[in-house]
Amino acid sequence: MNQQLTRSQRLSRLDVKASPYLYISPFFILFFIVGLFPLVYTAWVSVHDWHLIGGQGEMVGLTNYIDVLQQPNFFKALRNTFSIFLLSSVPQVLAAIVIAYLLDTNLRAKTFWRMGVLLPYVVAPVAVSLIFAKIFADQSGLVNAVLEILGTSPIGWHADPFAAHVAIATMVNFRWTGYNALIFLAAMQAIPREIYEAAIIDGANRWRTFFSVTVPMLRPTIIFVVITSTIGGLQIFDEPRMFDTLGQGGADRQWMTLTMYIYELGWGAQKSFGRAAAVSWLLFLIIIAVGVINFLITRSISSSSSGKAGR
Amino acid sequence: MRAAIRNLAAVACVGALLTACSSGNGTTPDATQNGSASADPNEKVTLTVATFNEFGYEELFEEYMADNPNVTIEARKAATSNEARDNMNTRLAAGSGLADIEAIEIDWLTELMQYPDKFVDLADPELDGRWLDWKSAAVTTEDGKVIGYGTDIGPEAICYRADLFEKAGFPTDREEVADLLEGDWDTYFNVGKDFVAKSGGVAWFDSASATFQGMVNQVENPFENSDGTPIPLSENDEIKAIYDDIATAATDDNLSAGLAQWSEDWTNAFQTDKFATMLCPGWMLGVIEGNAQGVEGWDIANVFPGGGGNWGGSYLTVPEQGANHEQAKKLAAWLTAPEQQIKAFQAKGTFPSQVEALEDPALLDQTNAFFNDAPTGQILAERAKAIEVAPFKGPNYFALAQLVTDALNRLDVEGTDDAAGSWDKALEAYNALGLS
Amino acid sequence: MSTQMSTPMIEQLAGKGAARAARRKLHGVDKRPGWLTYCALAAVVLISFYPIWFTILLASSNAGEIARNPIPSLIPAGEFLTNVTRVIESDIKFWTALANSIIVSTVTAISVVFFSTLAGYSFAKLRFRGSNGLLVFVIATMAVPTQLSIVPLFILMSELDWVGKLQAVIVPGMVTAFGVFWMTQYLREALPFELIEAARVDGASMIRTFWSVAMPAARPAAAMLALFTFVGSWTNFFWPFIILGSANPTLPVALQLLQASYFKDYSLIMAGVVVATLPLVILFAVAGRQLVAGIMQGAVKG
Repeated sequence: MNQQLTRSQRLSRLDVKASPYLYISPFFILFFIVGLFPLVYTAWVSVHDWHLIGGQGEMVGLTNYIDVLQQPNFFKALRNTFSIFLLSSVPQVLAAIVIAYLLDTNLRAKTFWRMGVLLPYVVAPVAVSLIFAKIFADQSGLVNAVLEILGTSPIGWHADPFAAHVAIATMVNFRWTGYNALIFLAAMQAIPREIYEAAIIDGANRWRTFFSVTVPMLRPTIIFVVITSTIGGLQIFDEPRMFDTLGQGGADRQWMTLTMYIYELGWGAQKSFGRAAAVSWLLFLIIIAVGVINFLITRSISSSSSGKAGR
Repeated sequence: MRAAIRNLAAVACVGALLTACSSGNGTTPDATQNGSASADPNEKVTLTVATFNEFGYEELFEEYMADNPNVTIEARKAATSNEARDNMNTRLAAGSGLADIEAIEIDWLTELMQYPDKFVDLADPELDGRWLDWKSAAVTTEDGKVIGYGTDIGPEAICYRADLFEKAGFPTDREEVADLLEGDWDTYFNVGKDFVAKSGGVAWFDSASATFQGMVNQVENPFENSDGTPIPLSENDEIKAIYDDIATAATDDNLSAGLAQWSEDWTNAFQTDKFATMLCPGWMLGVIEGNAQGVEGWDIANVFPGGGGNWGGSYLTVPEQGANHEQAKKLAAWLTAPEQQIKAFQAKGTFPSQVEALEDPALLDQTNAFFNDAPTGQILAERAKAIEVAPFKGPNYFALAQLVTDALNRLDVEGTDDAAGSWDKALEAYNALGLS
Repeated sequence: MSTQMSTPMIEQLAGKGAARAARRKLHGVDKRPGWLTYCALAAVVLISFYPIWFTILLASSNAGEIARNPIPSLIPAGEFLTNVTRVIESDIKFWTALANSIIVSTVTAISVVFFSTLAGYSFAKLRFRGSNGLLVFVIATMAVPTQLSIVPLFILMSELDWVGKLQAVIVPGMVTAFGVFWMTQYLREALPFELIEAARVDGASMIRTFWSVAMPAARPAAAMLALFTFVGSWTNFFWPFIILGSANPTLPVALQLLQASYFKDYSLIMAGVVVATLPLVILFAVAGRQLVAGIMQGAVKG
C-alpha cells in the first residue's frame, strides 16, 4: 500500500517534470526534421562557391558574405525593405488596434463585421495584384485619374522609390490589417470587464479607458503582433514582386526587397546559390536584431503605460 | 554531398523516431537510379512529360500511347514559363524529381548549356536537318552534344494599325507597308518620325526595351565573346550604338509610347490607340487579339527591320536524372517530328521549328480574321526563313542584357534619367557584377 | 473523477460571468455603440469587400468585355455560371484538387491548433527549466527566410520519397512557431493560475488539467488560429506547386493552370478565384458564428 502510494507519487512527480517538455516536443521534433536541415544546408551553401544548377564548388569561406556586402544593390534592398516595413507595420498595427476596439463594442450583427474585416485575407493574390495594378498604374491608373481631376500632377508610382514603397505598403496593409485586428480583438475579449467598469466608475472616458486599460492589458498580444509583423515585414516578397509584371523591383531596383534580392541572386541571371544563401543568413541576423529591439521597445512602452494604469 | 545529406536526414530521423521517416529513408528514389540500360523496347514504362503554357500535346500523348501500348505518359504542366523554370531549377539543384522529358524555353538555354552533363545527349544522325539551322545550333555544344529537340519558334514580323496609318496618310495595304519598312532599323525609325509628325499624338512603337530585344537578337556577339568571356560594357560599341539609337528614337523623337510590356498601362493602351506598330513574334498575335478586342484595324506586314528575328520558342530535353533515357528520347523525337508539330500548331498555334513543317499546306493556308484575314501562316513561315543570326548567349548573357534593358526602362518607362545618365548607371551596375 | 471536479468550477465561473453580464447593463460598459462606430466599420468592410465584388464582376463577364472596359461596370454581367462551368470542366483535375485542398487544410488546421495549444499552455503556464530560452528559440525559427529552404526541403522530401504526395505539404506545416507563440501569449493573460492549481489540487493529471482547463480557456484563440491556418494552407501556392505539381494538385496549383496561355482570359481566371474562395466564405459563415461564441465564452472566463 505504502509502496504503491510512493510509486504513484513518483509517477506524479515525473508527470509534473516531464509533461512540459512533452507538450512542446512536437514543435521541436518537426523543426529538427523540416527546419534545421534547411538552415544548416543554407549555412553550408553560403560558404561555398555554389551555382544553383552546377552545384557545389570550392569552399570559399566568407567570400560570399564579403561580396554581397560590397554590392550597392544589397544596401538598396536593405533600405527598401526597411522603408516598406515601416510604412506598412506602423499604420497597420495602429489601425488594427483601433478597428479591434470598435469591434469589441456591443455591435449588432457581430459576425458580419468581424468576418467583413478579415475578407482581404482570403482574396487570392492574382485578384489582389490585378486590382492594385489598376489602381496604381502610372498612365491609366485610378489614383492618378483622381489626381488629375483634382488638378494635381500624377504620381510616378513605379518611378519614384518613395511612391512605390507607399503603394506596396498599401497592398500589405490591405491584406493584413483586418487579420491583426482580429488578433487584437481576441485578446481584448479576454480582458475582464470589471476593469473597464472600475475605470468608468473612476470617471475615465472612452479614450482614457482605451489607453489606460486596454493597451496595457494587451501587452502580450501587442508584443506578439509587433514581433510577427517585424518578421513578416522584413521578409516581404509577394507584394513587391507583384507590383509590376517583371517582378524584379524596378529598373533601378527602387522597390527590390531583401528577399527579392535573394531570389534574384539565386534564381535570376547569376544563379549564385552561394551568394543568395549568404544574404539569407544576413537577413536572418537582421531580423533577429530588429526583433529584439522591437521587443525591448514594446515591452518598455506597454509596461510604462501599465504602470500608470496600475495607480 | 548526397551522402552527407542522407546522413543528415538519417540523423533527423533518429531524433524524430518517425516511422514514416525510417521507411522513407530505406528506399532509394527511382530518380537517382540510372536506368538508361533498359534495352527492351517493349518493357512497360511510365514516362513523365513536363511542359508549360500551351504545347498542344494533349492529343498527341493519346495517339502515342495507342501506338505504343507499353508506354503510359503522365503529363505535368505549369502555367507560365517562369513557374516552370523555378520548378526545374529547384529540381536540378536538389538533384532529383525532374520528369523524363522536360520542356525548356530558349531563354533558359544559356544557363543550361553550361551544364550539358545534366542532360542526355540526343544527337541522332537521322534527325540532321529536321530543324532550322539556328534552332538546332543553339542546343548543340562545341563537342557536338545535343541537349534538346526543337519544338516551336517565334519568328518576328511587324504588326501595325492600318486605321491609324490611314489617318496619318500612310499606306494601309500590308504589302505596301512591307515595302515602306523594308530596310534596317534606321528605316524603321525614320518612317516612325514621319508617322509621329502626322499622327496627332500616336506613338510609333510600344516599348523601347521590346524594340531593343528585337535589335540585339541580330547581333552575333551581343555581350560576350564566343569563348564565353564578357565584353566589358564600357567597350561594347555595338551595344552602345543600339542603345543610343533607341534612346534617341524613344525620347528625342518621341517614337515610343513608353510602356513596359505586359503592364497594366500596356494592356490598356491597346484600347486607347497609344501606338501604331509593334514587333510581333507569331505568338504575339493571340495577345494582341485578346487585348485589342473590339479594335478594328490590326494587320501584319511581311517585314522585319534588319532582316529576320526570333523571339521565344522551346525545346524538349531528356534530363540525366530520369530513369528511362531511351524511351524518353524516342518519345521526344516523335513529338518534335514535323507531322506531330503541325498537329500541335493546329491545336494551339505553336509555330513549328521544323524545316519540313514550314512547307506544310496546313500551315501555309492559315489566315487570321482579326488581322484583316492576313495569311499569317505564309508570312511567319517566310519570316522564319529570313532569320540568319543566332546570337551567342553565354553564361552572363541575361545579367548583361538586363543592365541595358533596365537603362532603357529608366528613360522610356519611368523617365527618371536621361540617356547619358542612365547609361552611366548601367556601367556602374556592370562593375558591381564583378565579372572581370 | 477529475473531469467532474473541474467542470463545476468552470460552470461556477460561467455563472459568475452571467451575473456580471447582468451587472454590466447597470454601469453601461456594453451599451450599443453609436453611429460613428458603425460608419467607421462600414468603411473598413466596404474596402475589404470591394476586391471580392471586383472578382465576381470579372467572373461574370467575358474576355472581350474586360478588354474593352478596363474599369468594369458595377453590375455583374450574366456569364458567371458559364465561366464556373468552364473552370470545372477544363483539364485541370478540379475535383482531385478540391479534395486535396480540403484534406490538407483540415488536417493542418486541426494539427496546428492541437500542438500549438499544447505547447503554448506549457510555455505560458508550466514552470520548467529552460522555458524562456526555448520560447525565444521557437520565435527565432520564424525569422528564417523561406526562399532558400525550398531546395533543401525538396532534397529532404525526395529522400523520404514524398515528392508528389500530400504529406509533403501537410507534415512541414503540422505545428508552426506562429501558432505556439500565439497560444503562449494568449494563454498568459486568458488562463488564471488559480484554475490550473484548483484542478491539480483535485488530483487531475497534467494532461487531464490541460484538457479540461486549458483547452476550454484557449477556445477563442484556437478558433482564430484554426481559421488563419486553414486559410493560409488553402491559399498557399508555391510549395505545393513545387512539390506536388499539376499531377496531384491542390486548388491554387490547379487553378493557376487557367493562366496557361499568352493572353490571359480574366473572366475564366477570376471564375476560378471565386470557386476557390467560395468554400472559405462558407467556412466563415459556419465557423464565424462559432468564433464569436468562442470569443464571448473566453471573455466570460477572464
